[in-house]
Parts: sequence; structure tokens; C-alpha cells
Amino acid sequence: MKIEGNVVAAQGAFAEKSERDLINAVQQGDKKAYQTLYQTHIGQVYALCYRLTSDKSLAEDAAQEVFIQLWRKIGNYKGDSKFSTWLHTVTSNITISYIRKQRGWLQRMFNIEDSEAMNYSAEQGTDLSDLDGYIALLPERARIVFVLHAIEGYRHEDIAKMMDMAVGSSKAQFHRAKQLLKEWMGYE
Amino acid sequence: MNKLNFETDLREQLESLNKEKQPDRDLWAGIEIALTNEDAPNDMAHEVAANNRPRIYAVAASILLVGVLSWNALKPVSQNFNGTELIAALSSQHQQQKNALLVKFQDQPALTQNWESQLGELDEAAIAIKAALKQDPNNVALLKMLQSVHQQQIDLIERVHAPKWRQL
Repeated sequence: MKIEGNVVAAQGAFAEKSERDLINAVQQGDKKAYQTLYQTHIGQVYALCYRLTSDKSLAEDAAQEVFIQLWRKIGNYKGDSKFSTWLHTVTSNITISYIRKQRGWLQRMFNIEDSEAMNYSAEQGTDLSDLDGYIALLPERARIVFVLHAIEGYRHEDIAKMMDMAVGSSKAQFHRAKQLLKEWMGYE
Repeated sequence: MNKLNFETDLREQLESLNKEKQPDRDLWAGIEIALTNEDAPNDMAHEVAANNRPRIYAVAASILLVGVLSWNALKPVSQNFNGTELIAALSSQHQQQKNALLVKFQDQPALTQNWESQLGELDEAAIAIKAALKQDPNNVALLKMLQSVHQQQIDLIERVHAPKWRQL
């Protein structure tokens, strides 16, 4: 048991060192290393973008934007926190800002009413779980708060800052999301 | 089914959610184009800290872009906003800006030999993006990509002819 534990710990340390080396190479401007970093993390980044936007095309564009901006930001990553944690924060901030910009652009171009723009209909045929299907149906603000709090583990205080809203509003949106999910999932 | 079941079931479903999902299309190609000629992240971090001088051309291009977008945005939807016209206006404005810079620096020696081939590669990238925009004229990501390639061309011309250390 102890040997197995040591092997697992050694593998973990090796993986961490490999990732640190990869990030160092990217910070020096190595684009091949950046492609490897992209391939390692695109699954997580896209899943988060998809859950936040509930729109395949928007999620693809947002994920692309994340990796374009990440190249410019990664020089500031000092390794104080786990890279995946830092990347999730960067992804959440860029995607929320992307949703806002996109909504503003759509409204200006096609004169869409705010209420319509904030209630994108969820895409059909998603290959994610049933719960993901319900999350995609939630109204925009409730969906973003639910994803960040329940799935990503952010505190309401952090979400409030990210979304430029009051802490109470974040809690209210989370409650609203849970009530809707409860109803849609057939609970009384 | 009661509230307790819902909370338990929701927690279980949240724990079993798949943390990864792959996009249907390859996103790397677009990222690679957008990052052509970008400095190394560490260099950019240093440059941002050291260089606070206003970038006149970038600001002028941004103002012009906002102007073009706003002008189009203010047109009523019934006038059929034409994405192709916007792309043509952006390309024409960029070409004028590029020509003006090339004329300005024509007598000044360039810092590197291959800057013209780099400029040519960026031209090819812009052509590829414009071809994609013909199929999808209102794609914001592609428009931003085109704008980024244009900006990289301007930066390249400025950098090889008027490096920052020479302006000090």
C-alpha cells in the first residue's frame, strides 16, 4: 500500500513538473508548447464555456478567445495557485465578458430586445448529461451563477465581483436556478 | 419526490458531471493565426510594465473601427446591414494606413531583412480570413481576427522601422 502511495505521489509530482516546464516554455514564447497546453486543457475550457453560454457556436468562439488572451496573460502566471484553477478563473472572466460583448453586438446589429437576448434558447442534441440539458435551459444570469457556484465552486462574493452584481443578487439567482431545476426535474 | 431527495440527487448529479467536452471544430488553427507575430508572453508582460506611451495608430484604428461599426449599428435593420460592406471598409481603411506608413518609412533602413515576407504572410492570413468572412460576413470572431492581423501588420512595419530603443 505504501509503495503504491509513493508511486502515485511520484506520478503526481512528475506531472506537476512537466506542466511547470511546459508553462515556462510557453512564457518564453514556444508556440509548440502552447499547442500542447491547448490540447491538454481545451476539453475543460470548452466544457466551461459551453455551460456558461449554452450555445455551441458562442462557446467555440469564447474558447478561442480564451486561448488568444491566455497567451497574453500567461506571462503573469507565477505558479502561486494550481494552473488549472487559474485557467478556470481566466476562462470564466473572459467568457462572461464575451457573452456581454456578444449580447451588446447582437442587440446593436439586429435590434434584439434585452429580454430576448438574455434568454437564448438552449441547443438541442447536446451530448452532455441530463443535468447539463436542464442547466442549458436556465435563464442567462441564473445559469452563469449556478455553473460558477455549484459546478466550479466559486463563492457568491467572487461571483458578484465577476458579474458586477450584488452578493444578494447572486444568491437570489442561485436560488432561482435551483427552483427551476427542481421543477423541471419533477420534484415537488 | 421531496426536497431532501432533490438536494441529494442534485449533489450526486453535480459530482458525476463530465468536466471535459471537446469542441466539434478545430479551434487551434484560428488561435495560431491570431497569435502570428505576437511577442513571447514574458516579453509582453515586461513591455506592458515598461511602456506606457500612447500608440497613436492603434488608437486611430480603433476609433475608426468603432465609428464604422456605430455607423452601421445606427442604420435601421430594414436597410439590410451588409457585413461585406463593413469588411470592404475595414480593408480599405487598413490599406490606406499601411500605405501611409510604408511611404513614411521608405527612406529608413529596416531592422530585419525578412520583414516584407512576414508582411506577405500576414497578407495571406488576411486573405484567408476574408474568404471565410465571405461565407459568414457577420462572424464577430472572424472580424476580430481580421482586425488583429491588420494591427499586426501595422505593428510590424512600425517595429522594424522605428524600434522603441531608437525613439528614446
